[in-house]
Amino acid sequence: MKCFLRSLTLLVGLFFYASSHAADALPTLTTPDDVGPVIEQPIEFPHFRHAGDAKDGGMQINCMYCHTYARRSMVAGIPPIQKCIGCHQSIESVRDKPRIQKLFEYWDAKKAIPWKKVHDLPDFVRFNHERHIQRFYFQQDRPYQEVCGYCHGNVKAMTVAQRQKPITMGWCASCHQKDHLVSANSSKTGHGPNDCFTCHK
Amino acid sequence: MTENDFNRRDFLKVLGWGGAAVALSGCGNTSIQDGQETVTSYVTLPSFVVPSISNYFNSTCAQCDAGCNIMGRVREGRVLKAEGNPNSPINRGRMCGLGQSGVQAHYNPDRVREPLLRTGDKGETLTWDKALGLISEKLNGTKGAEIAFVTGGMSGHVQALLGNYMDALGSKNHFSYEAISPAVLRAANKKAYGMSMPRYRIDKAKVVVSFGADFLGAWISPVHFSQQYAQFRKGTRPEGRGVLVQIEPKMTLTGANADRWIAVRPGTEGVLALGIINVLGKAGISIPADIAAVSKEYTAERTSKETDVSAEQIEKLAALLKERTPSLVLAGSAAEGYAHGSQNAAAIALLNRVLGNVGKTVEASASVPFPQIAPTVGNRSSLNALNDGLAAGKYKVVFSYGVNPVFSAPASMKFKDNFAKADFKVAFAHYMDETALAADLILPLDSAMEDWATVVPEYMAAPEGAGSNAYAQMSFRQPMMEKVFPDTRGVGDILLALLKQRKADEYKPFDDFYSYLRNAVLKNKVALGGKAGDDDEVFWNETLSKGIVPFKGIAGSVSAKASAAGLKLPAAADADPSYPLRLIPAVSASMRDGRNANEPWLQESPDPLTTSVWDSWVEINPKTAAKLGIVEGDIVEIASRSGSIKTQAYLFPGIHPDAVSVPVGYGHDAMGRYARGVGANVFGMLDAVYDKETGELALNETSVKISKTGQRVIIVKEEGPAGGSQAGKQKIAVQVSADKVDLSKEV
Repeated sequence: MKCFLRSLTLLVGLFFYASSHAADALPTLTTPDDVGPVIEQPIEFPHFRHAGDAKDGGMQINCMYCHTYARRSMVAGIPPIQKCIGCHQSIESVRDKPRIQKLFEYWDAKKAIPWKKVHDLPDFVRFNHERHIQRFYFQQDRPYQEVCGYCHGNVKAMTVAQRQKPITMGWCASCHQKDHLVSANSSKTGHGPNDCFTCHK
Repeated sequence: MTENDFNRRDFLKVLGWGGAAVALSGCGNTSIQDGQETVTSYVTLPSFVVPSISNYFNSTCAQCDAGCNIMGRVREGRVLKAEGNPNSPINRGRMCGLGQSGVQAHYNPDRVREPLLRTGDKGETLTWDKALGLISEKLNGTKGAEIAFVTGGMSGHVQALLGNYMDALGSKNHFSYEAISPAVLRAANKKAYGMSMPRYRIDKAKVVVSFGADFLGAWISPVHFSQQYAQFRKGTRPEGRGVLVQIEPKMTLTGANADRWIAVRPGTEGVLALGIINVLGKAGISIPADIAAVSKEYTAERTSKETDVSAEQIEKLAALLKERTPSLVLAGSAAEGYAHGSQNAAAIALLNRVLGNVGKTVEASASVPFPQIAPTVGNRSSLNALNDGLAAGKYKVVFSYGVNPVFSAPASMKFKDNFAKADFKVAFAHYMDETALAADLILPLDSAMEDWATVVPEYMAAPEGAGSNAYAQMSFRQPMMEKVFPDTRGVGDILLALLKQRKADEYKPFDDFYSYLRNAVLKNKVALGGKAGDDDEVFWNETLSKGIVPFKGIAGSVSAKASAAGLKLPAAADADPSYPLRLIPAVSASMRDGRNANEPWLQESPDPLTTSVWDSWVEINPKTAAKLGIVEGDIVEIASRSGSIKTQAYLFPGIHPDAVSVPVGYGHDAMGRYARGVGANVFGMLDAVYDKETGELALNETSVKISKTGQRVIIVKEEGPAGGSQAGKQKIAVQVSADKVDLSKEV
């Protein structure tokens, strides 16, 4: 009896202790709470101007024109300033805008722009952009805004990027468990890899 | 007592579960670290660079003198790892642990970062302009004969610049010194085969008998020989699987791999070689008259008595050599480190002649037609010459580059005191090592992964095929990344700046060593394998991307006329009762002469035989140890006539009972955080006995006595007990206590 009482006390204690944290323990998927913090960048880069739709005054530039490594490498990459200057040296109309002046200051000083990471996974997670872009953009032939946007949200409406999705393991796995078409010309489906080693190596 | 039953343990249990619950609930968004770090970002980027994907640059390893060709893996502007260059005839895409540690020399936190000047007991930093100006000032009014430059083995265009600088100073005092040098081998080979470094073909031999040549560990070009050895051991080879016999008093890595390991009494290797020749003669091999005249005294019985190797063993060995040809007989440092080392090496070389191996497994190599870049090899006799000059006060200004004689000279030479007699000492230094500490001006060097150089290897490995005896190569060393510390400089750049002080007009066209090197290579484009019509830029870029420039050397030939004339081996001397044991300083595969001791990977990688890490040790035969009452871990004092060290005892059956062995390279009292105070420096206690013919330090001629200090430690080592149980609780071998093992009787 003593023993039973003791265990009961322990169990009840444990239940209350754990339940007091239950709200934190089970985040639901994709709610407004998942939106990441607003991150101040050295230059307030207007994604909407570059990638936005024409009707909104955007130029509809493909994400991968600037984030050119996404299809070739683990990281999407920030373009070297060279790339910005490549266009902007011949766009006289915006040359005296403060953001562009700042850009040219970095270029003239030959200093890299210290952009802050917006989607920074912990070091024990290896996410590979190349695999996702190859599969969904090239093989399934989906629009790039959908492919990139699934994780990054509607970047074409943002100025500096802000995290829109939880980017947690559960969130990744929820998509890896779904069946996806293998390619645009096939009705075969398959789901994403489910091995620990794929991301944790 | 019911209430009190809820005791401390239960309380802790609840706390424990609660803690786990907190930890679990922490798995939400909190682990994403948005906005804290910066993205890797560039101003401009060459098109071949993609973040997270590596580029490879061909270069040349600088960790030892073998000059293996390597590829550096570079990602996002940082060199991460070195791999072997698969097109290299030297290392054929492979690398050793010592080479792998090169990145730790490059990123080492103890590197010298700016020029330093000693004023009295204090040091101050100064700018490069001031440092170079100071050298110019000190050299003004100093005669050429009063200037000395001591370096390690050198080759390539840095050596050419150094030669030009010495000419400009009017000095002939370039001393080339290697602490562990195969100088005896070079001289003996020159006599026996007509060239100091023929090419050995372990891969073609059916039997290899190695007299203490640790060719898998630390001998000449170990990665190259390991490749050959892998071929040698293949049963599918037309010659069949080769047999390796290693004869040495202290088991090396090669000895541990051998089919038969024979513990010979230290110093009697030459006697054993002649004994084998004698037995071969009796077995019907024709022995040239001059050799027979020397070997006839060495009957199996006499040889057995002198060498401690049983007559049966000698006869078996001779029978093996007679039955399987071609064979290859090698002489290594264990046979050569004696006052009669050259005689030992000569006697061993006779075996190759008698067995008809010369031209089959001892092949001709090419010599380099450009004397300015041909390798200059170092030896101990040049250090002695420098030391004598310093002692006599002959040198006022002394430069040192790539050597650490204050650490590696025997204490009896008093090198440190003599070095101090020079007015102005300049050390080109990577670390603040013992020699740099004794210098007045210290110039910080670029690492081998930041610097330009060309390297011409002394041991000229060649690709298979016709004309291999005329194959020569020059290897490029090129920067793989920006400098880690901005204020270091390449040795070529420093020499060029010094040369400009003397011959401004001649060197004006060259802004830096890179432009000098490029110009020098392009000027000799045709000799280096290019065509006269090739575009310079294309040729240069192709050369750099390959990292290896093969060119036509002067074809050599080996002579099979090794003569026994003048060969005289001393009878084994009786041990001095006050110093009854022979000290064998061991050269380990990772530590070598100690120049890389500040690379922690080398300190922590277990010695292949003892598995000891982060310390020196003394190997003692269990029989000897039992007599002296020493057990493993006892701190013992090893005293010679010239000095003493204290270190931990390791009982090791792979050593002759009359010998003890301590690895060299440990025991720095400077250099850096990983090297300082780790182990004991055995160089200091060596007796100054030299090989009579070459003047090379006789490493194994030091007699010692051992006494217990009363302290005992647990040796930090990887190994467990022999025959320990595995997961299935099955004994994998019968456990034999160390004092019962006799390796010479095995196989």
